Amino acid sequence: MDKILAKKDFPEWLKKLKAYRVYAPRKQDDVWNYEPVSGPDNVQLADVMTAVPAKKIVFPQREYFFEFRETDDNGTKLTELLPEDNPVVVFGVRPCEGKAVTLTDKVFSGEFEDPYYWKRRNATTLVGLACVNPPSPNCFCTSVNGSPHSKEGLDILLTDLGETFYAEALTKKGEKLIHEGQKLFKDPKPEDKKKAEKIQVEAEKKVRRKLNRIENVPLKLKGMFDSPLWDEESMSCIRCGICTYLCPTCHCFDMNDEVETTTPLQGKRVRTWDTCQFPDFTMHSSGHNPRPEKSSRLRQRINHKFQYFVEIWQNYQCTGCGRCISLCPVGIDIIKVVEKVRDYGS
Amino acid sequence: MVNIEDLKSEARRVLKGGKVKYIIGYERASETWKANPIFLRTPEAVDKLVWDPTCFHNLVRFVVDEKRRKAKEKQPDTRPVGIVAKGCDSRAIIVLLQEKFIERMDVYIIGVSCESTGVIDERKLAKKTAGKTVRKVEFGEKQNYIVTTEDGTMDIPAAEIMADRCLECIANIPVVSDHLLGDKTKRAVARPFQSVEKLESLSQEDKWKFWTDQMKKCIRCYACRSACPMCYCDECVVDTINFAVTADTTAEEKAQRIKWLEKSPVDSENIFYHLVRAIHLAGRCIDCGECERACPVNIPLRMLNKKMEKEAKELFGYDVGFDADQPALISCFRDGDPEDFIR
Ligand code: SF4
Ligand code: SF4
Ligand code: SF4
Repeated sequence: MDKILAKKDFPEWLKKLKAYRVYAPRKQDDVWNYEPVSGPDNVQLADVMTAVPAKKIVFPQREYFFEFRETDDNGTKLTELLPEDNPVVVFGVRPCEGKAVTLTDKVFSGEFEDPYYWKRRNATTLVGLACVNPPSPNCFCTSVNGSPHSKEGLDILLTDLGETFYAEALTKKGEKLIHEGQKLFKDPKPEDKKKAEKIQVEAEKKVRRKLNRIENVPLKLKGMFDSPLWDEESMSCIRCGICTYLCPTCHCFDMNDEVETTTPLQGKRVRTWDTCQFPDFTMHSSGHNPRPEKSSRLRQRINHKFQYFVEIWQNYQCTGCGRCISLCPVGIDIIKVVEKVRDYGS
Repeated sequence: MVNIEDLKSEARRVLKGGKVKYIIGYERASETWKANPIFLRTPEAVDKLVWDPTCFHNLVRFVVDEKRRKAKEKQPDTRPVGIVAKGCDSRAIIVLLQEKFIERMDVYIIGVSCESTGVIDERKLAKKTAGKTVRKVEFGEKQNYIVTTEDGTMDIPAAEIMADRCLECIANIPVVSDHLLGDKTKRAVARPFQSVEKLESLSQEDKWKFWTDQMKKCIRCYACRSACPMCYCDECVVDTINFAVTADTTAEEKAQRIKWLEKSPVDSENIFYHLVRAIHLAGRCIDCGECERACPVNIPLRMLNKKMEKEAKELFGYDVGFDADQPALISCFRDGDPEDFIR
């Protein structure tokens, strides 16, 4: 279903979304982030890249699993704490982030369906904004099977036509959201569609970086586990959490019991993000650390994204948003690292 | 002004002579206008060396890595590592020497003076260039930077985009070095500690609100700690990795090992983390600003540490990172030390 929405009517549409908790990018202290919207006039959709990706809405950095409590008869009472399923809508989602959500969808389904993730995911409507000017100098979505107007994972794709948005509803959730706007949405004229398509094609040419000829990288990585390349490439890594916490596709987590009182013993089991770049990541209780060096941690990040994930899910676990490049404090560049793997020994 | 050719020839000279294991310096990769750390192992590699206003990283962080690496090697190469050090970086070396974390012969210091212009603040520059792609940033002749973008060049007065710490810098020429490049010039852009004055003037409630609002943004990526050359503890409160487990350690003991703080990014834990870090940096932070620069959500961490530096100065007359023989603030006591704050 394709529609047209005048930009001046956008706040009106927001006003009709009373049933939803609405998120959109907001700038604070020079940094963009998805934040709850304070009022219908406070949303300006633009080509921006947030620091923290939209994954935080379906996969928050911290969430509860259950509550535990010691009972009078020395037993334990467990209460599951599933997230509420109040509807949420996120505006301004970048196409690379929409695609990233389709990858976390895979991880949290299958053999171990994750009810916490799916409760949020099913309640969330993602309204994407096609990139007219790719927001980051390090965007490379077109090199990893994406595009600045990719529809994957999104419920609606908006394309900025200047005075209007060209709105494509892509799922039932998306159609429902457009229905909430009722008469604000008009049927597009054929030239609107043409214009949207033209903008989308132009945008592809503006994606500034490329990662070419990587078809053989997954296979190649298999033979490079002990390569000295990892030492060399990780020399300047300071092993922080930036490249992984802020990656829209990274999904590793840790679980801890947060004790609130000891008599009676009471608290919550909590899930938080975790990252392969931290020194205690997957450390065994024996004290054995499977990835003790930063070289093995960089290798894990690259292998997971360009080998293991491809083997399991037939997709790169990278959608080319460029965050890990732009935000790395020492300029470690995933494009360069993967190119070096590609060209290694030739 | 530092002549890049002089820097390169000194680097070549020490590498050729086998005096150093490698040199930690700055390069610029083709896709970026910013400098990145580089580790030069051969005289040929020296061609990559750059020195420009984007050399903001404190490379002393990698001297800490080198010490760890050496400790694990069976037959360690005991030669020093070469390092390109600015004034602030050299003060970090002084603190590491003072704390006996490294020995003087562990490092060969090629000092570079920042002279009248320090390094830039990327976020300030981004505002000036407003979305244009930057290609290059160079030192100008008179307290200015020449910025080349896709649209041509801009001449920007240094004070407008200089890193905050450089505005208040008290050592724009290295305080310790084996080979020094550039001149000793004056740079008085702001009063020392000027940046903390505004926060200091707030009421207690407003200060608390300011910091709790800022700390809410923290995602606990620990980039601030990881970028810091002073955060060298083998075991940090945030990740207990050295809990000794033997065949006899019971599950109970494992479960009850001390967990100083939760991984959850909630107010109490975020504030606890940052206060622990600030206290541990009192009299040690040399204001290289790396924590603040690395922070992906732009929390003004420098203000916390600068305030501690100011306290050390005002209460104990202590200047950080100038004298390797001076006892460390936290581990010394003098009869005349004020104690009226102990209540
Ligand atoms: S963001 Fe950069 S420095 Fe931090 S862990 Fe990733 S690669 Fe290393
Ligand atoms: S790996 Fe880097 S570029 Fe790829 S999706 Fe993650 S953050 Fe973006
Ligand atoms: S760098 Fe910023 S976000 Fe990361 S832990 Fe430090 S203060 Fe928090």
